[in-house]
Amino acid sequence: MRPGHLLAAAVLAAALPHTAPAQDAARGAGLAADRCSACHGADGRSQIPDIPSLAGQQAGFITLQMILIREGIRHVPAMAAVAQGMPDRDIEDLAAYFASLPPAPPEDRRPRDAALASAGEALIGPRLCGVCHLPSLTGRDQIPRIVAQHEDYLARAMTEYRDGRRVGADAQMNGAMVGLSDADIAALAHYLAHRD
Amino acid sequence: MTMRRLLLGLAVALAAGPALAQQPAVPGWAVGRPEGSTLAPHAPRLTVTPPDQVPVGALRLPPGFQAEVFAHGIPGARMMAEGPNGTIFAGTRAIGRVYAISRNPDGTTRTRIIAQGLAQPNGLVMIGNSLYVLAVNRVLRYDNIEANLDNVPAPVELTQAFGLPTDADHGGNHSWKFAALGPDGRIYTNVGMNCNICETDRDRFALLVSFNPDGSDRRIEARGVRNSVGMAHHPVTRELWATNNGRDWAGNDWPNDTLHRVRRMGEDHGFPFCSSGSADPQFNAGRNCSEFVQPAALLGPHVASLGMRFYTGTMFPEAYRNQIFIARRGSWNRERLTGYDVVVAHLDAQGNVTRLEEFMTGLRDDANQRFLDRPVDVHVMRDGSLLVSGEQMGAIYRITYRR
Repeated sequence: MRPGHLLAAAVLAAALPHTAPAQDAARGAGLAADRCSACHGADGRSQIPDIPSLAGQQAGFITLQMILIREGIRHVPAMAAVAQGMPDRDIEDLAAYFASLPPAPPEDRRPRDAALASAGEALIGPRLCGVCHLPSLTGRDQIPRIVAQHEDYLARAMTEYRDGRRVGADAQMNGAMVGLSDADIAALAHYLAHRD
Repeated sequence: MTMRRLLLGLAVALAAGPALAQQPAVPGWAVGRPEGSTLAPHAPRLTVTPPDQVPVGALRLPPGFQAEVFAHGIPGARMMAEGPNGTIFAGTRAIGRVYAISRNPDGTTRTRIIAQGLAQPNGLVMIGNSLYVLAVNRVLRYDNIEANLDNVPAPVELTQAFGLPTDADHGGNHSWKFAALGPDGRIYTNVGMNCNICETDRDRFALLVSFNPDGSDRRIEARGVRNSVGMAHHPVTRELWATNNGRDWAGNDWPNDTLHRVRRMGEDHGFPFCSSGSADPQFNAGRNCSEFVQPAALLGPHVASLGMRFYTGTMFPEAYRNQIFIARRGSWNRERLTGYDVVVAHLDAQGNVTRLEEFMTGLRDDANQRFLDRPVDVHVMRDGSLLVSGEQMGAIYRITYRR
């Protein structure tokens, strides 16, 4: 790594607001048991193929998505009632809790298909996934970790972005998905689900 | 529901246009990023900041000025407009809300959310008793708003009349709006560049435009202004002035963000051929920069110069009268942080900028390369105090002066 890269990395790591919000992961654990675990799993590891695991997810991403859902900007029918009127503090504590859990691949991961995985891997570079999700694809701040996630969920998320049925804080993911076929998305989802 | 329709439109447009479909999938902000660079926009904060964490104590001002917290607990607060009864309205981007902040008799404030779920409702303008909200490709008018803060009636839909480009037209770039009321009663706004830098239709993008309040009679006020998120008319000369955000990925120190003075309707300020008065290294296309209007001032590289207002109050010393206060939200496209402050552009009698004064500082921690808040807009209240919105901490600061 050149010194310039080190400096840039240091800047990225440091250039955050000075006063970090005081999230309470322990309090978040209590909230999660009540409101989240039925679908997202007792330890943040979802047992349902179409529902994402949240263990080890970026706290900034969980916070942002909960707010987009609460504010009616991102539409997730199953989440609407949970998010409605949820105080910011609850969202931050939940996010801190899930971020503190060790990530793990889904237990029901289907066998790895080498051809499908390599077709997916071949799209990661050209689609520049690592620009936002970082080369490790584990995300940063409001950008999610996308490795070792449920394959069905990943495919659905990417399809929704491609088809304009989901939006983030901006339209970057919509743009990133333009022109991908269903088969491309299936390959990407398979590769990502199997990458740890 | 409207958002969904808008998004479907976006997807259809992206899928249908072969030129668009061939664009690289790289996010707009990262187009042109040198290999190995890890610079990226800073994450927003969309949750309430507890009042004891609002960094008002860190603010530094010239002698005689004081800062206090005017309002807090308003995540993402950006552009401000004031109603005839003194309500301060604040727009946002990602959180999709419009806030109304009213002052209680004891000096505390009460904040209501009067609109939510909008696509980046950043542009606000007050005309009489009506609040105009300019979101991405959406214009709404809330009539008699201050009398209805607790029960906001459905707004009048002016989207079609204004016909602003969609987020898809913009390729997701610079589609959010700033809005100002001109002395001629027209609404002035920006149409930002549809990329970081590229060849584009110069009658469609990188413009300052104005409309009648009903959305009719669109007029190009200036061309070749990359993305202005702040403008105001000089209180004496009535000329339009605007801040502008310079392009990314051309180095730490080039170009500068710029201040623009529009003397003749429709004049050309040179983007993408020239930025901050000199030739673009990639998109100059053989153009001589002297053929374009030169910036009125250079505001610093990558500082994100946004909201600006002429100081028209009487509370501050006479030296500030009719001078321009400018919020600099702060850099991301630079290895060392710049901006995160409010500056004053001082003008001479001919309207030439003679110097830039650092007015409100203390939010940028140079030693540790951190920032405490991001000032986005300034607003002169009727008592002559100055409001500064802090987007990152969801607070509005009030600056007063005592002799």
